Amino acid sequence: MDLFRRNRRFILLGLAPALGLYFLFVIYPIFRSFLYGFYDWNGLSAPKFIGLLNFKEILKDPVFWKSFLNNIFVVLVSIFGQLPLGMISAVILSRKFRGESFYRSVLFIPMILSTVVVALLWSTILNPQVGIVNQFLKNIGLSSLALNWLGNPATAMPTVCGVILWQFTGLYMVIFLAAIQNIPKEIHEASSLDGVTEIERLVYITLPLLWPTVMASVVLCISGSMRSFDLVFVMTEGGPAHATELMATYMYNKTFAVYKYGYGSAVSLVIFTISFGMILAGQWLMKKKQGTV
Amino acid sequence: MAYEKKAGDCMRRITATVFKHAMLIPAAFISLFPLVWMAITSLKSNQEISFGSFSLPKQLHFENYVEAWNTANMSLYFSNSIIVTVVSIFLTILAGSLASFVLSKFKFRLRNFIYTIFIIGMLIPMQSILVPLFIQMRTLHLLDSLWSLILSYTAFGLPVAIFILESFMRVFPDEIMEAAILDGCTQLRIFSEVILPMSRPAVASVTILTFLNNWKEFSFALIFISEESKKTLPLGLYNFLGTETNNYAGLMAALIIATLPVFITYIFLQEQVIKGMTAGAVKG
Repeated sequence: MDLFRRNRRFILLGLAPALGLYFLFVIYPIFRSFLYGFYDWNGLSAPKFIGLLNFKEILKDPVFWKSFLNNIFVVLVSIFGQLPLGMISAVILSRKFRGESFYRSVLFIPMILSTVVVALLWSTILNPQVGIVNQFLKNIGLSSLALNWLGNPATAMPTVCGVILWQFTGLYMVIFLAAIQNIPKEIHEASSLDGVTEIERLVYITLPLLWPTVMASVVLCISGSMRSFDLVFVMTEGGPAHATELMATYMYNKTFAVYKYGYGSAVSLVIFTISFGMILAGQWLMKKKQGTV
Repeated sequence: MAYEKKAGDCMRRITATVFKHAMLIPAAFISLFPLVWMAITSLKSNQEISFGSFSLPKQLHFENYVEAWNTANMSLYFSNSIIVTVVSIFLTILAGSLASFVLSKFKFRLRNFIYTIFIIGMLIPMQSILVPLFIQMRTLHLLDSLWSLILSYTAFGLPVAIFILESFMRVFPDEIMEAAILDGCTQLRIFSEVILPMSRPAVASVTILTFLNNWKEFSFALIFISEESKKTLPLGLYNFLGTETNNYAGLMAALIIATLPVFITYIFLQEQVIKGMTAGAVKG
């Protein structure tokens, strides 16, 4: 609609605050980081152009690959852990029954906590001295299982992923629940008249109708997992021995611990590319699958 | 026959109910128990904690909260968090709704381009611009200032805010605005007296979402702020154990203090919180 076709001044003034902030603190820095990725710069002296050297060094660094694989691991755990658990809870909660809204509220609670709070709370719960997990295991006679969960390179990553599951499953439950409730009632009524069983209805009616939501959730899982930094940084700082290193913690350590700004920018660029690549690949795969259904 | 069928139906329903609760009760327990434990532990003495993590406190040690509030600087972090959150919400709503008004109700050449640029912002991983944004803040001499957080939170909140507000305003009938123009209203008055009041539900969603995001934000604070007096809650909590070694009771009290505002919001505005967070998450 064009009520004010000639109000150029107002259009400019109206967009100026938002566009200004957005360009200054989002768009411009991104383009600048594209540039810095090709420089050797410690943040103080003049940046020196070194071409693709940063990227070569990144690809040669085994710690980077470790962090990359850990990121993939988080993505997979999120997709194959959070989504199914969220879907199961959503399907159960989609039928009205007493206590349904209580369960929904409770299962969503971890989502509202700050990741720093989640990280510190679980670090304490898993703490070998004062934590409740090991005390519980000892009390039921499983002292041998009372490990130093976050301090041991073998258990640190799965433990961190467990906490991620705890925090985010509620989000997917709510997303799927909303989608299920959006399915027209007539479809359910028609299917129950046709004598379709509950399980059949889930597999042949509900899930296919939810496919677009599942697709969106996979993208959300990928972008969310690629972003995860806070939790790991607070719980383990990427340790022990890089066992929980993620690309973001790797970037942080390279930039702010050893002051390699150019290198850090190059890592940022790599994270940026990989996340977008994975999101696109995820969407493509899901579309393909949808075509065969 | 019919009777048997009914009995079978009844049995099936009972089995289904039992199954439902058998799945949900453990899930609810796992979600809730860490928080209950946090609350219990915050009221114990550190000595009690080292003796057993399951026991209930013999005496309620509310002084843990007083100590966290005063000696562990929680009061300072708390007020910094409030300043940053309130100002950034205000700026996000102001800039976001104004831009949404222009994008939804005006026709101009770059409209689609500008809208797309904002929407793409929702997909940008924050971490990928951590380094360049740090450099940017240093250039602007904003490091160790609350403005670094306020401005970056606002800039990062705008895409979702515009996404929610624009789609809400788009469906307003044009007749309302035509009537206002005939009455001789300027665009700014139409915005402030017609559009903004009509957008109240969307503004509420954006406010809640922005509040939650900015109250909880850690990465930017970690990188922009090193001065003690400028720290926000998440950053202050992160440093807690560094300064108060083994004060786990105090830590739990501090975590509860930091979570209380969010928790209270959730209790009173649960539907809006859930809706806002899922809208903010699912986005386009």
